[in-house]
Amino acid sequence: MSDLKETLKEQIIEQLNLEDLTPADIQNEAPLFGEGLGLDSIDALEFIVLLEQNYNIKISDPSEGKEIFQSVDSLAAYIEKHQ
Amino acid sequence: MRILGTCKIAESGVFVNGLARQFEVNEDWKKDLYASLNIEYPKFYKMDALAKMAFLGVELLESSCNFDDYSENEIALIFANRYSSYDTDQRFIESYTEKGSPGPSLFVYTLPNILTGELAIRKKWYGENIFFINEKFDAQFFIDQINFYFRKGSKACLCGWVDSANNQEECFLFLVENSIDEISIEELIKSYKQ
Amino acid sequence: MVTPIGDTPQENFEAMKSGKSGVSKIAGSGFNDEDWPLSKIKHLEEENRYQALLKRTCSQLLKAYGQELFQSEKTLIIISSTKADIDSFPEDTFSSTRSIINELLTPVNTPVIISNACISGVLAINTAVDYLNDEKYTNVIAIGIDALSDFIVYGFQSLFALSDAPSRPFDKNRKGISIGEAGGAIMVSKERPSEMFSVEYLGGSSSNDANHISGPSRTGEGLFRSINLSAERAGINLKELDFISAHGTGTLYNDEMESIAFDRLGLNKIPLNSLKGYFGHTLGAAGIIELLATMLMMEHKLLLKSPGFEEQGTSCNINVLKENTESEAQLVLKTASGFGGGNASIILRK
Repeated sequence: MSDLKETLKEQIIEQLNLEDLTPADIQNEAPLFGEGLGLDSIDALEFIVLLEQNYNIKISDPSEGKEIFQSVDSLAAYIEKHQ
Repeated sequence: MRILGTCKIAESGVFVNGLARQFEVNEDWKKDLYASLNIEYPKFYKMDALAKMAFLGVELLESSCNFDDYSENEIALIFANRYSSYDTDQRFIESYTEKGSPGPSLFVYTLPNILTGELAIRKKWYGENIFFINEKFDAQFFIDQINFYFRKGSKACLCGWVDSANNQEECFLFLVENSIDEISIEELIKSYKQ
Repeated sequence: MVTPIGDTPQENFEAMKSGKSGVSKIAGSGFNDEDWPLSKIKHLEEENRYQALLKRTCSQLLKAYGQELFQSEKTLIIISSTKADIDSFPEDTFSSTRSIINELLTPVNTPVIISNACISGVLAINTAVDYLNDEKYTNVIAIGIDALSDFIVYGFQSLFALSDAPSRPFDKNRKGISIGEAGGAIMVSKERPSEMFSVEYLGGSSSNDANHISGPSRTGEGLFRSINLSAERAGINLKELDFISAHGTGTLYNDEMESIAFDRLGLNKIPLNSLKGYFGHTLGAAGIIELLATMLMMEHKLLLKSPGFEEQGTSCNINVLKENTESEAQLVLKTASGFGGGNASIILRK
């Protein structure tokens, strides 16, 4: 699980073009949206692409994403459950 | 009209008001130039090549142009290029033909005028915007457009020829103020050709 | 005016009047083979679709005006398109536009091309007037065109912006956009032609939201500013407006944004429609064909209903037309908003 989280952080940085960050800057439990990393609605859609391209998980309604993309913790839990 | 500043970035180097800056235009030049300017604007990393170039050009122009002399509605953005959003178009096509699904943020950047949007957001400019596709940089075309926008009430025009295609990138920006002076087309072409 | 519901302005108007829509489910049009509702011209060949559409638009123009007009040194052509020939010529998307225009319309002056997302068409008319005021030209023909392509459909799909039923601008149950394709042209002249219907251009402008590159402003800032500026340039009081031809894409946030801008300007009572229910969202063609349709409404003294609208679905009250309504509309506002934070508007008088 912790490996998955580290991989996820790298994938998030790449997918969302957060070149100014390193995986260490992203806390497992910290909120990804809102104040957190300054992400917006298009970034939320990029998370959907990330899940689809890397984990073969499809999300058909973006509103489902709200809970899944709360933090690296919630994202990892969702992937574990659905893979 | 009066040219208040020019900025040219191409393989030949970085020139602000005709003067070369100590800077090497290599493969990573946009990131390097951003770093050298000491700006905190994480959104920069998300931009496509066109928007990044225009963003950097405006930051460089600021060393000699005081954009604050104009109110938020007074600057018109008049931009043009030849290849529209070529680079991002290719990357977007790749996202659905090779990478498995169409990329939403790539798609948004498949419009050349996104760069004027990025500048407007960065500078809080609410003025007029327009993006043209021309076969080549045409100084007279820009001067005609500038005259139109001055006649309609803009106080300054930030103009740009920003293109990125086939491994060639170029960015030429100039800021023009409304005044009785006439600008020389030859001067403008000379600045562009640097 | 080449759209899925007609090949000429007259045909289009008759089709709209009878409530016909160009939007229907297109099998396998989605990235995962979804059947998205799109506004597709059925009898247009699949290969080189954009080129075929441009050729047909040009041939309609030649039929209407004759070759001579385009060959005059007093005539300028302006083209408005977002993605032009992205399907056949992704390496230089606008090159076939130039060659087809040059071959068919044989203009003396180099055509001007505007590519500024969904406000391109409205900007093309504003720019046409700029050129006329410059005295060099007596006629400017503004052509708006965009064709359906996988590129565009997959793109809007990736943004979750497509509606799985025909789009319903401003309605409570709206779910997104129906993308469409069309070509259309408007002649802008110094003098009012006696032989055909015309309206007077009073003023136009654009304004950026300075807020987000793809999300509409929460306050309708750019649209608010552009409409105010157009009214100032037109020398009119917005309260005198008889009708608004809105942008109305059918997405939650865009339509909400427009209602906020109209509310801030006190335009709540002015009859309004979105024509996207007839044509779909035709991107770079939208401003042109919607202005054409608006002129047809003024000519025929009939304001057309906004298809798909049943129940108020925006936080601010606006007067969206549910039925075709006879009206002597004299003073009319056309608006557009698009990616890149752009907003543009035009005020016309009969």
